[in-house]
Amino acid sequence: MLTINKIDVAYDQVQVLFELSLSVSRGEILCLLGRNGAGKTTTLKSIMGLLPLRAGRIEFDGEPLNELAAHLVPTKGIAYVPQGRRLFSELSVQQNMEIGLMTSGAGKETKDYALSLFPRLQERLKQRAETLSGGEQQMLAMARAICTKPEVILLDEPTEGLQPSMTSLIRDVIVQMKQQNVAVILVEQHVDAVLSIADRVTFIEHGTNADTVQAAQLQENPSLIQQYLGV
Amino acid sequence: MDFGPYLFAASLEGAITAAVLALTAVGLSLVFGVMRVVNVAHGEFYMLGAVLAWWITSMIAGHPALGFWVAIVVAPLIVGALAMLCDRFILNKINYDPERTIVATIGLLYVIQQSTLMTFGPEARPVEAPFNERIALPWLEPTNAGLQVIWPTGLSTTSYKLFVIAAAVTILLILWLVMTRTRIGLIMRATQLDQEMAQAHGIDVNKVYALVFGLGAALAALGAVLVVPIQQAYYLMGSDPLLLSFIVVIIGGLGSVLGTVVAAVLIGMTDGIVSVFFTPTLAKILATLLVAFVLIFKPNGLFGKRRE
Ligand SMILES: Nc1ncnc2c1ncn2[C@@H]1O[C@H](COP(=O)(O)OP(=O)(O)OP(=O)(O)O)[C@@H](O)[C@H]1O
Ligand SMILES: [Mg+2]
Repeated sequence: MLTINKIDVAYDQVQVLFELSLSVSRGEILCLLGRNGAGKTTTLKSIMGLLPLRAGRIEFDGEPLNELAAHLVPTKGIAYVPQGRRLFSELSVQQNMEIGLMTSGAGKETKDYALSLFPRLQERLKQRAETLSGGEQQMLAMARAICTKPEVILLDEPTEGLQPSMTSLIRDVIVQMKQQNVAVILVEQHVDAVLSIADRVTFIEHGTNADTVQAAQLQENPSLIQQYLGV
Repeated sequence: MDFGPYLFAASLEGAITAAVLALTAVGLSLVFGVMRVVNVAHGEFYMLGAVLAWWITSMIAGHPALGFWVAIVVAPLIVGALAMLCDRFILNKINYDPERTIVATIGLLYVIQQSTLMTFGPEARPVEAPFNERIALPWLEPTNAGLQVIWPTGLSTTSYKLFVIAAAVTILLILWLVMTRTRIGLIMRATQLDQEMAQAHGIDVNKVYALVFGLGAALAALGAVLVVPIQQAYYLMGSDPLLLSFIVVIIGGLGSVLGTVVAAVLIGMTDGIVSVFFTPTLAKILATLLVAFVLIFKPNGLFGKRRE
């Protein structure tokens, strides 16, 4: 289980997260919802060790992740699919996946598995990542993360700017990861896109966790969405 | 000698300048490309390579070639290791902040230069080439009976000069293979493209930076060891290679290794030829003018990418 316990995070002098807490278990999909600038991306970056904590703890199965150097966090089984994809643009599809494989020392089966989820990448292994279409880039960002054989995967707006068919493919893959007992933290703007697959939803407001509710509860009673997202 | 053969001889001198410059400038370009560090002390790593080559050859008795072969391996290793220490204890400590690294490497320039002066003295030191046979060169002369091979008196080079060109080409090829075909090359390129995402995939960016800074310095030192049987080693010899490397890296496009090699050939050949026909000073003036033109018409360099 991944737990984040009252973390404070700042960019230089400007504090962005205030005593933010949340947790996610294996085989669970936790969805983070919040307005633009609420601090969702900052939360995920903090988990990856890319931003220093001013206070608080991040633990994975009791081991404090926040005491590790950033490059050791992914080796503990935490994978990150960042907002805007951030592929290694000049490297090929194959090379991007190889970097994922290196993280965990995973082998060919892992790569074949990732490609089986996204067969379109199979045809484009030699293509440079920057020349892929938006949808293909998102597939590669996910494939790269899956190549690290994650136990926890952090997904930052994976359906941003994608058409419905692509969105449902991404959603299917997320559900498949859940079924394989991976813990998923999913950041989304589009509530409709995720509510059906999420187990729990945590609302982030002004850099801290506001309500956390069961997704089913939210479907019956959407007034919280109105309250936190204004939609 | 006629103009044709004379130009040929001058081009050969230019090719040697280009070969050594390509090695030195690729080192600077790698460091800038991967680490975003403008290393003002790069010329001093070159100088140190040359001076260490002299020191090593002077320490080793026996056949002079032996000293040279030891120097070409050991001097770049020492310089590379020193650079890695500088990375760990200076650049890393100031977080690779762009402005502060410039100031820090200016400081490093003087520290290395003055320490060399204090340790090895101000004299220019020769190093004997491991082999140095004269090789007469042929020239094709158009006559009534078609092109004829002639051997103009005075048109010659030495086996060592040809070796310098061949060695530089080989080293650059190896470097290219390492960057494109190996795991460590992949890691360096991933770090260059997005260091945060590299970290998020288990890459120890600090280690990569130390390695790249060491490699960059070692390449400069290697160029210097190659050149030192042709030009003598002394403690102020780092400034010309620094200037020319900057020119080459800017013309080639910041961070583009291929662009750097192409620009090094262009500038090196021009420098060599103009130096033979006119003066080395005019050659530097022309190179600087060329930079100005490139910056006006192609601000990102010949092979540079537009940056956001
Ligand atoms: N590199 C940075 N330097 C300074 N401030 C930053 C930086 N990145 C983010 N911030 C600030 O931190 C706050 C939270 O940003 P964050 O990216 O976490 O929001 P978000 O919830 O992911 O928003 P969005 O839905 O738009 O992606 C914002 O006010 C933002 O301006
Ligand atoms: Mg965000």
